[in-house]
Amino acid sequence: MSGNTGGTPKGGPAILFDRVDLTLGRTVILDQVSLRVEPGAVHAVVGPNGGGKSSLIRALLGQAPHRGMVRLDWPGEAPGVTAYVPQAVEFDRGLPMTVEDFLAVLCQRRPAFLGPDRRIDYGAALERVGMAGKRRRRFGALSGGERQRVLLAQALIPAPDLVILDEPMTALDETGCTIFEELLADFRAAGTTVLWVEHDLAQVRRLATRVSGLNRRVLFDGPPPAMLSPDRVLDLFSAVPRRTTGNAGDARVVERAAL
Amino acid sequence: MSFDGLRLLIQGWAGAGLLPSGLAHGFLVNALLSGLVIGPVLGGLGTLVVTKRLAFFSEAVGHAALTGVAIGILVGEPYTGPYASLFGYCLLFAILVNYTRNRSDLTSDTLIGVFLSVSLALGASLLLILASRVNIHILENVLFGSVLTVDDRDLTVLLAVAAGVVLVMLPLFNRLLLASFNPALARVRGVPVKGLDYLFIVLITVVTVASVKIIGAILVGALLVIPAAAARVVASSLRGFFLLSIAFASVAAVAGILLPVQLSLPVPSGGAIILAAGALFLGALLVRLVTRGEEG
Repeated sequence: MSGNTGGTPKGGPAILFDRVDLTLGRTVILDQVSLRVEPGAVHAVVGPNGGGKSSLIRALLGQAPHRGMVRLDWPGEAPGVTAYVPQAVEFDRGLPMTVEDFLAVLCQRRPAFLGPDRRIDYGAALERVGMAGKRRRRFGALSGGERQRVLLAQALIPAPDLVILDEPMTALDETGCTIFEELLADFRAAGTTVLWVEHDLAQVRRLATRVSGLNRRVLFDGPPPAMLSPDRVLDLFSAVPRRTTGNAGDARVVERAAL
Repeated sequence: MSFDGLRLLIQGWAGAGLLPSGLAHGFLVNALLSGLVIGPVLGGLGTLVVTKRLAFFSEAVGHAALTGVAIGILVGEPYTGPYASLFGYCLLFAILVNYTRNRSDLTSDTLIGVFLSVSLALGASLLLILASRVNIHILENVLFGSVLTVDDRDLTVLLAVAAGVVLVMLPLFNRLLLASFNPALARVRGVPVKGLDYLFIVLITVVTVASVKIIGAILVGALLVIPAAAARVVASSLRGFFLLSIAFASVAAVAGILLPVQLSLPVPSGGAIILAAGALFLGALLVRLVTRGEEG
């Protein structure tokens, strides 16, 4: 995951979801989801809670048992750097760990308690998210928005070719949103592919180059201004999909009879 | 391995009044040497134990050592150091707990509670069955540790285990922490989360077993928890956390081994070590209350 900081940026990969099915227990989370994310796109995925947005990310990261195919087409020979910004990290708020310690834990091999690896420019990453002044603050004492900014900073080390964002704006304040906007612009300029799960449609309309509506299935996929029409949005959020496999109960009865 | 040279040197210094007079006894030198190994290793590892919320688990592994000793006596190992049974049983116990935790929806404290009780019941039953075969007083040593019984073989086992644990833990320290912060993020950054989970509990287990001689089965887990807890209370960075935990554990180990002998107190070393650690913890809490009381 490291060691790609020096080379010229070779651009992000295309992401291909081909008829992806994901079922947890008897609940269908993703149903025949096919989607193509273009290299260098800022591709937003919107949809209601429980519509499968986070599951799509987990399938992409290879962390959810799914059927169908998920493929990354990298421009070069070898895969580039993937960065992931989760919604939150699980940790003891009182843990004596500074912002710099936290980044060191994530980004370097040298044990974090020995201090930051001088070869990695943590200062620059924190500068870009407006947190340079809080390097030595305890990570657990930060506000939710500040922690979110640090999570964005870690995604910059090393410079990523693919960025996966899971509702990064939830806790961000106004300054945080501006910073996030600048980061997206930087990613676009560098040709980095961004897959961005988001619930804030206004931001998606403003910042994404493409948007997909996901509620168990892909309901629409195209450029944001056209896709996010009031009718479509209403459809996306009001449609109540059948969440369980319709005839699973019947199937079980049949199975019992067969026994 | 033989530690005669080192022992003679320290005994010489003690005789010349440079070190506490108790160290003129060879057995105490052995105990002190093991304390100087146990302290830093358990203290350092303890920071991860506390951060990864494995405190109860490490207590349980220590208690499993009691059953390990019982099995060792049963199969005819020397009761002064039944290492094969100790390592075998404790590793089995630890791996089984982790395996079951990954495959059931029970919370880990419930699961550990179950395994710990069953294991203790097994150990206690075996020991009573064996009571006719061995001097039951050795139980005291197993339970609470003894400075009298540490021989060169124990020291060798301890040194080998400590060296192995340090060599494995240091390069993986960040990854072990990251895996507990967010498994998905850890995997994206190339951390094999499940594998490291198992590796870490194996580290805890082997170091616990190697320390049983000095601290005893009942209290050995405490030296993984208390110094790190004390350090967590007063430190403000990972560096402080780690270094203080090592310092606290080392001071507690050395004090617990030397003080009872110097003061002629009939206290087992394990008890004394953990009492010393507890005092440090209390001190750390007080310091915190005084200096940062306003933070609540």
